[in-house]
Amino acid sequence: MKKLIAGAILLGASSMAFAQPGCGVGAMIWKGQSGIAPHVLAATTNGTFGNQTFGMTTGTLGCQTNQSVQSMAMYMDSNIDKVARDMSRGSGENLDTLAVLLGVEDADRDTFRQTLQNNFATIFPNADTTSGEAVDAIVALLEQNDALSKYVAA
Amino acid sequence: MGFTLRSGQAILWLACSTTAWAQTEVLTLPENLHQHPTWLTLGHYHQDTLGESYTSQADDPGFFLSQSGKTSPKAELDATLKAIQQPGGGDEHARCRFPARDAWLREQLDLPDTPVNCPAFEEWSGTLNTENVTLVFAASYLNSPSSMFGHTFLRLDPPQDDDEADLLLANTISYAADAAEHDNELLFAYRGIFGGYPGITSIKPYYEMIRLYNDIEHRDLWEYTLNLDQQEVDTLIAHTWEIQDKNFDYYFFDENCAYRLLALIDAARPGTSLLDEVSTHAIPSDTVRWVRDAGLVESVNYRPSAATSVAHSLDSLPAEHQTIAAAIANGYLTVDAPEVRNLSNNEQAQLFDATYDYVRYQSEAEAWPREHAAPLSHQLLVARSQIDNAEALPDVPEPQVRDDQGHDTFRVSLGTGQLAGSEFTQLTLRPAYHDVLDPPEGYRGGAQLQFLRLDARLYHSNNELQVERITGVEIRSLSPRNPFFAPISWQVGFGGRRTDTGTDRVLTPYLEGGAGGSWRLGDNTQAFAIATADLEIDDDLRRGYDAAPGADLGLLHQNNRFSLLAGAKTKAWIVSSQHRQDQLYLEGNWHIGREFSLFTKFSREDHFDRYQSTWQAGLHAYF
Repeated sequence: MKKLIAGAILLGASSMAFAQPGCGVGAMIWKGQSGIAPHVLAATTNGTFGNQTFGMTTGTLGCQTNQSVQSMAMYMDSNIDKVARDMSRGSGENLDTLAVLLGVEDADRDTFRQTLQNNFATIFPNADTTSGEAVDAIVALLEQNDALSKYVAA
Repeated sequence: MGFTLRSGQAILWLACSTTAWAQTEVLTLPENLHQHPTWLTLGHYHQDTLGESYTSQADDPGFFLSQSGKTSPKAELDATLKAIQQPGGGDEHARCRFPARDAWLREQLDLPDTPVNCPAFEEWSGTLNTENVTLVFAASYLNSPSSMFGHTFLRLDPPQDDDEADLLLANTISYAADAAEHDNELLFAYRGIFGGYPGITSIKPYYEMIRLYNDIEHRDLWEYTLNLDQQEVDTLIAHTWEIQDKNFDYYFFDENCAYRLLALIDAARPGTSLLDEVSTHAIPSDTVRWVRDAGLVESVNYRPSAATSVAHSLDSLPAEHQTIAAAIANGYLTVDAPEVRNLSNNEQAQLFDATYDYVRYQSEAEAWPREHAAPLSHQLLVARSQIDNAEALPDVPEPQVRDDQGHDTFRVSLGTGQLAGSEFTQLTLRPAYHDVLDPPEGYRGGAQLQFLRLDARLYHSNNELQVERITGVEIRSLSPRNPFFAPISWQVGFGGRRTDTGTDRVLTPYLEGGAGGSWRLGDNTQAFAIATADLEIDDDLRRGYDAAPGADLGLLHQNNRFSLLAGAKTKAWIVSSQHRQDQLYLEGNWHIGREFSLFTKFSREDHFDRYQSTWQAGLHAYF
């Protein structure tokens, strides 16, 4: 189940990387599907990304080898502001989605949410933090945690 | 291989070379199988307006196996039957290209369901991993005209007993016009209405749709989970595979986003016949009603837009905290100011949450500069992250009346009235959608959208039938301003109307618009002030046209029992007549459920230095 979801997201990742580099979420459409919605999306999301609190990453996601981490990075790229919001509150559906993408089991979810909330300022040190930097910081944090390190092992 | 026709019954002789159990088999093809509703649905065939023949709405040769498949359900059935019995498999095999047709034909004709290897389809449907199908309706947001029809798409929900399932990651099916290579607005409108744009089915994750509709377009989403069983879901997925990447020409009014989704549901549950409901237009909110009335809805969930959520969060704060939130957002107070630190942890957390949501909203909707919004957002989040276990702000309550439960959109009105002493009976037909005096439940307050409305009058004194007014489109959006939000109220409309030339009332094409502000006076009452502009073009006007700057000041009250609109309008006609036109108006509707309203209106006008009164009363019925 998780692998399938991860696969779905990564399918988007590849079309983003190869088909329309730099187009961001708007280009994260399946298998080069076209249609007005993707174009509207591309136009509107690129327009508003200039106004996001945190920037999105271009091109550094390839460094991650763990497929779950890559899926999380993809998700954060398009939902960075909402993920940051949920993280600061230690709850919310976007934080839960990160847990799903990383395969965090129910028993570890509370630790996961708390760890991210308590280390918010480490994950997002300033307003210019990009999603890629945030992902790297999350991975580093989880690696140091006994209960959570298994979810980000390469 | 060949077949013979005998007394209306087609008998198909087959030669299957690969299977030992059926070297030759007599296949009895039921009479008129090609006219079976399911076959017609799967082929998107519709009976031609004239005559008995059928044409498919698919505009893509790749959708047909027979050369004459577009116009002949029979030829397509024969070709499909032949192709799916060919040995072998693989992505190019007909069984893999048309899995829904294959499954249905095998069931109808008792053909053996031999396994077939379709790697692409299996991978695709495995990835979609669908247990339930949810129809998602993006409510219209009348401050943005592009959203006025609403929008629908399907969400493919993974099994929910799996705690790794996540609806944000679920996939969605949409159908939209592919207008990519065309950018001229006029051409866009023309082709949208008269055809010419290819329509394409596309699949995207739900979180992208949420971002587009909830966050960027500020539209609430209603999620209607359908009660399709697993087999019906599988059929829907299989048929989606058949039509994805296939071109169906897109028409804004009928064969639009909502229409093709209805066809998918029809295919999933034969006999539903949702498409039979479509006449001249398929407004997405109406299509939701049809789906509901067909008993297809299992449960409903509400997902408020970013705009709805932030307004509710701010409203939930005590008044003095609202002031602090506004001060922080505008940079008058810092996040660690004494006014903030004096609050309890819980109060601080709620203050930060609401303020952050507001700053984000303003950044997206009002384009607050990043230099201001980004550092402030970051400070708010860091401060918030230091407070553990705070009570969350209350969720936005689900509206008691959903969009699909509001009054029906087709309105017929019959009334009687008097114009300057001359009595008339008036009949009004309004195919869509809502005006500010209609029953407000299920609609956005202060919002109005009417189109293709016809007002006809029969004057009793001389038995003369007159077209009083034809409304092409009329949009009005009255959105109250407050310390946090400063929307512009606006209106635009065009059509033809009776205008007073001083000696006669002539039917004149008009264009009108206006912009201004509105302020809330009470729970259901707002006061508005709009600067207006009118243009009329007609031979009967002295210079062929006339234009008027003007103003409209009024009060609007809307509740579930009655709605009231009262005010004063003035227009200064400056080109032809050079007369001022001043009007006082009072209109009220008394709602009887959501099926009927009693209406009455009165206006007194000063034009061409004479006073004239008009009154009218009657009944609106909603269908």
